[in-house]
Amino acid sequence: MTEIPVQSAVETTPFTGTASGQPIKIDIRNLDFYYGKTRALKSVNLPIAAGQVTAIIGPSGCGKSTLLRTLNRIYELYPEQRAEGEVLVDGDNILDRNYSLTRLRRRVGMVFQKPTPFASSIRNNVGFALNFFERMSRSEAEDRIENALRQAALWDEVKDKLNASALSLSGGQQQRLCIARTIAIRPEIILLDEPTSALDPIATAKIEELIHELSQSFTIVIVTHNMQQAGRVSEQTAFFHLGELVEFGQTSSIFTNPTETRTKDYITGRYG
Amino acid sequence: MGFLAAARAFTVRRGPPDVSAPGRAGGGWKDALFEHGTAAATWLVLFLLIGIAASMAWGGRLAFQTFGFDFLTSAEWDPVAGNFGALVPIYGTLVTSVIALIIAVPVSIGIALFLTDIAPQWMRGPIGVAVELLAAIPSIIYGMWGLFVFAPFLAEHVEPWLNETIGTWPLIGPLFSGPPIGIGMLPAGIVLGVMIIPFIAAVARDVFNAVPSGIREAAIALGATRWEMLSRVTLPYTRSAIVGAIFLGLGRALGETMAVTFVIGNSHELSPSLLMPGNSIAAAIANEFTEADTELYRSSLIALAFLLFVITFIILSIAKLMLRRMERLSGKTQ
Repeated sequence: MTEIPVQSAVETTPFTGTASGQPIKIDIRNLDFYYGKTRALKSVNLPIAAGQVTAIIGPSGCGKSTLLRTLNRIYELYPEQRAEGEVLVDGDNILDRNYSLTRLRRRVGMVFQKPTPFASSIRNNVGFALNFFERMSRSEAEDRIENALRQAALWDEVKDKLNASALSLSGGQQQRLCIARTIAIRPEIILLDEPTSALDPIATAKIEELIHELSQSFTIVIVTHNMQQAGRVSEQTAFFHLGELVEFGQTSSIFTNPTETRTKDYITGRYG
Repeated sequence: MGFLAAARAFTVRRGPPDVSAPGRAGGGWKDALFEHGTAAATWLVLFLLIGIAASMAWGGRLAFQTFGFDFLTSAEWDPVAGNFGALVPIYGTLVTSVIALIIAVPVSIGIALFLTDIAPQWMRGPIGVAVELLAAIPSIIYGMWGLFVFAPFLAEHVEPWLNETIGTWPLIGPLFSGPPIGIGMLPAGIVLGVMIIPFIAAVARDVFNAVPSGIREAAIALGATRWEMLSRVTLPYTRSAIVGAIFLGLGRALGETMAVTFVIGNSHELSPSLLMPGNSIAAAIANEFTEADTELYRSSLIALAFLLFVITFIILSIAKLMLRRMERLSGKTQ
């Protein structure tokens, strides 16, 4: 794939309206998303702050996973799905047809709801994407693999069995392996799509702790249907309902003092 | 019959718990009849399987007794002198099957990957059906087509060329030199290959469809191209099941009779050349059962059948085991 220089969009108004006052990493503007003829996202405007954890919450079918899948254009695997609007990452519109997918996938990593280990060794899983983007020697690759596993808090559990099958790990370990695989290519943004919904409470606690650690180095967007989790891990929260962004703000204020009734009803368990 | 009694005892002892409403009068005997009827139908299959294997071993005992282990290693097949050896048909069966696999495996996997990952949605159904319809063509038609259309074509256009090019190479040259008559092991193998494509392709397609979509998406999200996703994620994930699918095709190729009989040439000569006529186990039986006038001749043919039964039974068992491993695997990670 050829790298096409991207027209910078800096001349558009610099918008610093994140809830926390941090600089914006991802600026979603007037985003609509369609599954065939069904409109799943309606004119979403959402600034996501750099170096923080942003949680996306809402009842099933509200479009929260759809939003996440737009941010790395994974939806393009399915021809009937399409997005309209702008998603600016550091000012570049990644939805632009000319924006290189290779570049996008390097900058934006994603971890899925169910662990997705490949049928290969632990080492090969973490090293899977290393040579996609840069040339490196064997020893460099080994270093990157070790670092990624350390960052994902998995190194101590697997260092003696890097050649064992990734499928032999427990569910929680597999999910941390997938996180390690994602951070091995050093993305700027990590998307987490309900990363703990298939895990037990102890494995969930480990992943949440890990998310907290990772927010030091990455911009993280997490979709969750668990409101306590959103409260625990995120600095900012966006509440979606029926494809619309209802409310967005500091996590603490959304949970203690929501301005919209729909938000209030949802977080107090009235529906969802 | 003792067998049925045993089957009934088995179902009664291990049958599912009684789910009918307690205290309901009448109708109980229908339930019993239904349960025992279905059980008997199932046991009948096992009984037939064992019965067929046993009767073939019994029918071939004269040949096995007379020739011993030499029956497997002797290339002689001389009905007049009463000397029978299975080497030529065994060799022909294996060689034609290997040729068939060399042709069918890449084509089938290509079809399956195209249908699951590359073709646009509207194309998948119709092409899938077309591929499955290949399996609906009766093998006698493949045989006639092979003899009247394909063999003359090979003799005229392909085999002379093979003789001149690959036929002169060292090592593999002898495989492709010989008279270009269009009938022999190579044409038989090619026709077999076409015949087993639908079986391997259909199973492989189901296997690829069983790969959780999350696994594919994860590879793409990491920056993999479609080719990298297929070669480094989908294929390794489905490795054992694809081997299973291939063995399923191999099982069919080994036992295929009619089409092979038409084009293999039915000659009991052992030749290194693939262009020369040969024989396969199934073709030898189909051709010669009417001529088997002596006890030993007949017994030798039945012994051949027993060998084929054992080989295909083993191959198909392996196929089932491999496919089941895939089911467990995708069940675990889905």
